Amino acid sequence: MAAQPSPLPGPLEERVDLVFGALADPTRRHLMELLAAEPGATATGLAATLPISRQAVAKHLKLLHEAGLVSSRRRGREALFELDPEPLGEAVAWIGSVGTEWDRSLAGLQRLLAR
Amino acid sequence: MVLVQLFGCVSNLAHTVKRTVLLDADPTAVWEALTDEALLSEWLASEVELDPREGGELVCRFEDGEERRGEVAVVEEAERLAFTWHRTDGGESSVEWIVDAVADGTRLTVIETATPAGPMLAAAGWAPRLGSLRLLLGRLVLA
Repeated sequence: MAAQPSPLPGPLEERVDLVFGALADPTRRHLMELLAAEPGATATGLAATLPISRQAVAKHLKLLHEAGLVSSRRRGREALFELDPEPLGEAVAWIGSVGTEWDRSLAGLQRLLAR
Repeated sequence: MVLVQLFGCVSNLAHTVKRTVLLDADPTAVWEALTDEALLSEWLASEVELDPREGGELVCRFEDGEERRGEVAVVEEAERLAFTWHRTDGGESSVEWIVDAVADGTRLTVIETATPAGPMLAAAGWAPRLGSLRLLLGRLVLA
């Protein structure tokens, strides 16, 4: 069955907000860590390594999926989860362009004040 | 290895850029360069309008034609200026300039943080939001 892409809502700020919310929880960050190590894990498989129920894991995975950080595909009755790094790439692009701009303008400020 | 890469990416998700520069001038001269329209127009953008009061307007016009509008959030004379602005291609963010006197001049710290626009965070206001982003960043770095 085809992979189901995670839903990414429109404006950048909304997406950033969802990503922040998803990452604010240590259990969800731990789940991302587990998914990075084992792509295609199931909620049941993930729950086996954590001190929380399968239902709790599924709830966390749903939030990660809504933030676009995790994608899922189905195999029979089970959903297989994978880490989706695309929102992370967007963050890196923002940091790169904003950082470059400050480097340039602060160099200008240093020149201005050295005169 | 994967974990190191993942947490590297995840901490970047806080959408924060921080820069520190040492300036060969005293804090008063630096503060002037941060708040005087004519001086700002020499380093921040090609044309800058700034009303350096809380709630005051900021307009930056750049060489490439971008016009970036913002609003002053905090003014602590000769110490700290914070404002929000709206990047054409990067959404809204908050910027903080912190001025510190050091032995041989002045240290300027710039922190820019993207502003998530969720209803909960929007209701909480700008300053607590920045604080919570810092806490989040701290936790992610420690994770």
